[in-house]
Amino acid sequence: MFGRSNRSGNYAYTATKAKAMKSRLIKEDDYNKMLQLSVSELAHFASEAGYQKEVTELGDKSEGVELVERVTYAYMANTFKILLNGSQGELHTVLAAYLQKWDNWNIKVILRGKSYGLSTDEIRNDLVPAGSLSAEDLERLIAFESSEEVLTAYEKLASMPIPAEYMADFKATGNLGMIEDYMDKFRYERLVKIIPTNTIPTRMFSQYVRGAIDIKNLETILKLKVEGVTGEAVMPYVIEGGKQIDSKFAKQLADAATLEDTYADLAQLDFYDSIKEQIDNGEFNVRNLILNTQKYEMSVAKKFANEYPLSVLPVIDYMLCMENEARNIRTIARGIESGLSKDVIKGLLVI
Amino acid sequence: MAAEEAAGMIAIGAGLAVGLAGIGTGMAQKDIGAAAVGAITEDSKMLGKALMFMVLPETIVIFGLVIAILAIFTM
Repeated sequence: MFGRSNRSGNYAYTATKAKAMKSRLIKEDDYNKMLQLSVSELAHFASEAGYQKEVTELGDKSEGVELVERVTYAYMANTFKILLNGSQGELHTVLAAYLQKWDNWNIKVILRGKSYGLSTDEIRNDLVPAGSLSAEDLERLIAFESSEEVLTAYEKLASMPIPAEYMADFKATGNLGMIEDYMDKFRYERLVKIIPTNTIPTRMFSQYVRGAIDIKNLETILKLKVEGVTGEAVMPYVIEGGKQIDSKFAKQLADAATLEDTYADLAQLDFYDSIKEQIDNGEFNVRNLILNTQKYEMSVAKKFANEYPLSVLPVIDYMLCMENEARNIRTIARGIESGLSKDVIKGLLVI
Repeated sequence: MAAEEAAGMIAIGAGLAVGLAGIGTGMAQKDIGAAAVGAITEDSKMLGKALMFMVLPETIVIFGLVIAILAIFTM
């Protein structure tokens, strides 16, 4: 009975810490203020909104949009690391599996950097050390000469065996696409397996992840359809373990003659209400679908987090909100730099 | 002999009242304490409120103590 905490995780500590972190996130009114600022003022605003340490650290290494982008990801990575390193037991295992997204991100950055001939400093600047890989691990990976060495080392670090045919294809063509898709698929499928289903909150989180797989699969199917890839050719990119989109339904969506027909098949899905208005207005672009489904995912996570405050759900809710904040600030910075109107930039934000 | 047995049972009951109430308090304070530390490390202004919540479960052990005193001195 008294060993419960150590085995299942220190939920009270980690969830409360995440809730305290969430209370410091930028509010909707602040986004309206940020839209009135220049890029340099935006960096100053971020500094006052809690990003001061990162702005001070990176301020002399970069400026303008690059500074804002690096600061947001550095802050996000620091907070995720604090939560991951402070968690224990089952909670730590689940968070590490969830944050493997950023390990995969970093490996992709390193591999692409090496294929484009970037220097180690340039690659290092684009890393987001928010996952399980330590700074030392990342330094070791960056130091490898070839992409094959990076992949071989990552296979061991992440316990993620990459199929030999994908490696052979990469060696023959130099195309990383298949391996990158495989890393994402592997991460989702492992996450679904790792999440325990012995309590209501963990079952809810499992359902949430399976719902996220559905959304990811739908995005993939629609993006491929826009590029003219349909039918059986889509199936290797579909992630297994979805809540409502199984391989049969995925094939039905992929086989639909037009984008409009694909959208028409979505009425039975949980997140249909979040994209109904878009469909009713005849807007079939994937970018809007992604924005609307992101809002849906955040609303679901928020609802779950409020229902079970001492579980993994508030932590995941914070991570989603933090990632969204980083994305919003970057969107504002890029929008201001590109001279977009405030209304256009606001339309791109997920608030 | 019966009176001695009764006194012994009362003593056991009093011990159980304090002991079990203490265990209950400890279980409650474990999670509250962990949550309090999590909140305080992010915002030190939370110290006062966190301490207030931290001592709330102490009432449980006081109830146990009161029952034990009542058992020993009024029976």
